[in-house]
Amino acid sequence: MQEERLVAVFSESARAVGSEVSIVADVEAVVDYVKQLTTCLVMVPDFASAKRLDLVSALKASGVALVQEDLRQGAATAAVGVTGANFAFAATGTVVLESTREDIRLATTLPEHHVVLLDPAKILEDDLAAVPHLRSFHQNSPRNYLAYITGPSRTADIERVLTIGVHGPKQLHILLFTGLSNDPLEM
Amino acid sequence: MNKVRAKEYQVRIDHALATPKLQEALHKFGDAFLLAREKAFSQYDFEALRLAIADCKDEVAAHRQQYLEQFIANAEAAGATVYQAKTAADANTYIAELAKSRGVKLAVKSKSMASEETHLNNALKGAGVEALETDLGEWIIQLAGQRPSHMVMPAIHMFKEEVAELFSKVTGSEEPAEIEHLVQVAREQLRQGYLDADMGITGANIAVAETGGIALITNEGNARLVSTLPKIHVALLGVEKIVPTLEDAATIIRTLPKNATGQLLTSYVTWIRGAVPCGDGDKELHLVLLDNGRSALAESPQCRDALRCIKCGACANVCPVYQTVGGHVFGHVYIGAIGIILTAFFHGLDKAAEIVRACIGCRACVTVCPSNIDLENIILSLRETIGHEEGIGLGKSIVFRKVMRNRKLFHSLIRAASMLQKPVTGGQRTIRHLPLFFSSLTEWRTLPAVAEKSLRDQWQKIPQKIEKPRFKVALFGGCANDFLYPELGIDLIKVMNKLDVEVSYPLDQNCCGVPALYSGDKETAVALAEQNIAAMLKDDPDFVLTTCPTCTMALQRDFVEFLKDNPVWAARAEHLAEITVDAAGFIVNQLGAAEVFKGEAVPEKVTYHDSCHLKRGAGVWKEPRELLTTSGLDLVEMEHADRCCGFGGSYSLTSHPDISKQILGDKIRDIEKSGATCVAMDCPGCMLQLRGGLEKQEKDIRVKHTIELLAEALK
Repeated sequence: MQEERLVAVFSESARAVGSEVSIVADVEAVVDYVKQLTTCLVMVPDFASAKRLDLVSALKASGVALVQEDLRQGAATAAVGVTGANFAFAATGTVVLESTREDIRLATTLPEHHVVLLDPAKILEDDLAAVPHLRSFHQNSPRNYLAYITGPSRTADIERVLTIGVHGPKQLHILLFTGLSNDPLEM
Repeated sequence: MNKVRAKEYQVRIDHALATPKLQEALHKFGDAFLLAREKAFSQYDFEALRLAIADCKDEVAAHRQQYLEQFIANAEAAGATVYQAKTAADANTYIAELAKSRGVKLAVKSKSMASEETHLNNALKGAGVEALETDLGEWIIQLAGQRPSHMVMPAIHMFKEEVAELFSKVTGSEEPAEIEHLVQVAREQLRQGYLDADMGITGANIAVAETGGIALITNEGNARLVSTLPKIHVALLGVEKIVPTLEDAATIIRTLPKNATGQLLTSYVTWIRGAVPCGDGDKELHLVLLDNGRSALAESPQCRDALRCIKCGACANVCPVYQTVGGHVFGHVYIGAIGIILTAFFHGLDKAAEIVRACIGCRACVTVCPSNIDLENIILSLRETIGHEEGIGLGKSIVFRKVMRNRKLFHSLIRAASMLQKPVTGGQRTIRHLPLFFSSLTEWRTLPAVAEKSLRDQWQKIPQKIEKPRFKVALFGGCANDFLYPELGIDLIKVMNKLDVEVSYPLDQNCCGVPALYSGDKETAVALAEQNIAAMLKDDPDFVLTTCPTCTMALQRDFVEFLKDNPVWAARAEHLAEITVDAAGFIVNQLGAAEVFKGEAVPEKVTYHDSCHLKRGAGVWKEPRELLTTSGLDLVEMEHADRCCGFGGSYSLTSHPDISKQILGDKIRDIEKSGATCVAMDCPGCMLQLRGGLEKQEKDIRVKHTIELLAEALK
């Protein structure tokens, strides 16, 4: 019940700020989603739940071109970045990504689409509920780059008119994937 | 007073007033902001949040060294290099030298007000380093060669056509003035910059002592690119950004976006601690902690609350002066009410001296401040400082020090004025035209004539028939009630007598002192406070009533503050504050007597104008409305009912009549739009302004004090 409520609130808040929220059942659905977005280069950094799903092999097997060598140049030309999320919070539709690894940051800043895989079990109530996890990240690792992401990149700097996609991703796609991971400290 | 500086300032005002398009945009923005903000906070307790932020910032201010050391130790342990810059020049030199020593050619920047404060781009240019602003608004003003006119939306003063022109010069082709297209142009043009740059420069919204990390609260995503791609990351931040814990940071993050742009949360909140991986190695992270006047601010008991500021810009958004002239007039680098204070400490009193006077004192900013800063009070104390440093002008000095402090002289001069004014009044109650160099004063507003017989001079002859009074109250009339609108005092007697309250008028009462205080002459204000306390408490009244909310603030708040360390006066000032209450509030709250007027009034469509100091000072706004509706008047709310009317005492008469006129124009439009035939209020100053404006425009709308309407109802 509680999870259902949080998923509902999360989805509503995320959509209100322009995120796409979808439910996916398996890795094939993720591959289909990505293929619908682009025929160009896709970047999938290294993260735990992708490894378990063997997402990279599945994408390759269905013919998706992946960024492999020069990550910086690759990310700059990729159309889609796919990552997991450590956890999320419902009140504002926010996903939280432990982005200390540079490949996570490249995949979530440069491509026009950012696809996030999120286990709905990891949706918390709000920003205050997130603080204990923030503290754990800080305690577990000496250096951190943590990101709250709430919708696509936006600006209102010209005549205060809201415009999407100024520097970061133009679209944020959140794929709710049950059974992916229930550990907020893992992506 | 510095004449050259004052003249340059006036030129800027004239220029801004000649740009109605800007005014229209800022007015619309102010309206939209308030709606979005209210919606964003609908599920949250704003008062609790702002008290928490104030507490947290005060805790850090009280133990500055301890939290600074904790932050630095944790940041260094995580691999950051920390530099403490005492001045703006120190910060600039450090960053420029660092850039030179690392062979940096291009530095990409995300938005940082601290770097605007230090003029970092100039310093980098001097070191042969190109600084590229990547925040859209900052890039626009960089291309235009301007400075920000708003802390959150730096290019709020520009229009899409101007942006298109600037971008066309960059791309070399004609860019259409369509916002979505222009944003795309910026995306494409700036993208390569991130990849090419050797240094990324950001600010920080928060620095967390517990972790040694910083947090950036942004929407565009450029700060994430700036802090990710280049090998070197420099974060320039004021020391006041330090908070103790992650919970404190969360409170600020919960509040700032809602109060800045009406967003529940910005697109990105980025927490960075230490030298994170970058390419094949680690990033080089430099944290430049800027003092530049902040320690001095922390040491100033009158002003230090300003260090609580989280730079949301709301104080500008709601400010009628900002909406009228914009941030290039009402600010230096930092703009709006907080900008006045920060400018004084970061850029020097000289840079703040003119804008200190530009505040009209309406307290709209105080209501929305997320750090619970009493901006108006701090601005008043800065006025006093400048008054000391530069003098308040010979004319004012004579009026306040020699005349006002001597009540008998002051009042006999006013009596003389009532005789001398006859050539211009022709015996009428208002002055429509003034000759010679005074003529501009009556161009847009008539002025009330000084009454032939002041309230104090006719008091003894006004009959009061009460057998057994419930209360004995003393009226503090204030100058306007006494000398301009004595009939208001007579109406008050009528209303109070009906409620079995006997009213006295202590004749030794003098001006409340606010005009002197607002002009920077606190000494006179304190002298007047003592005279008034003695006068009002002499016969030990049950209550002291006021009909002017500015006087109310003086009696309820200022006198106590002035005299709190004076053993002779402190307790008496406290007592006077306790028994002082404005007339409408007294009827509703102390007497519970609104019902006495039930259905007594001849029905009329009335709109209510909230006076700044009544609503946002004394907290009274429901009470007059209750009295009006109970009495049978048809109350229709105007838009922006609690927006200032532009009076502000000497603000409209001498310091900023041209801004006052614009603000009055806004108010008159709102009154007219309401369709009311009468506008009610509880302040003789607002009455003067609105009567003057409506009369000059020949509008058939009555301007009445609530007490006058109640007296009418009893007829």
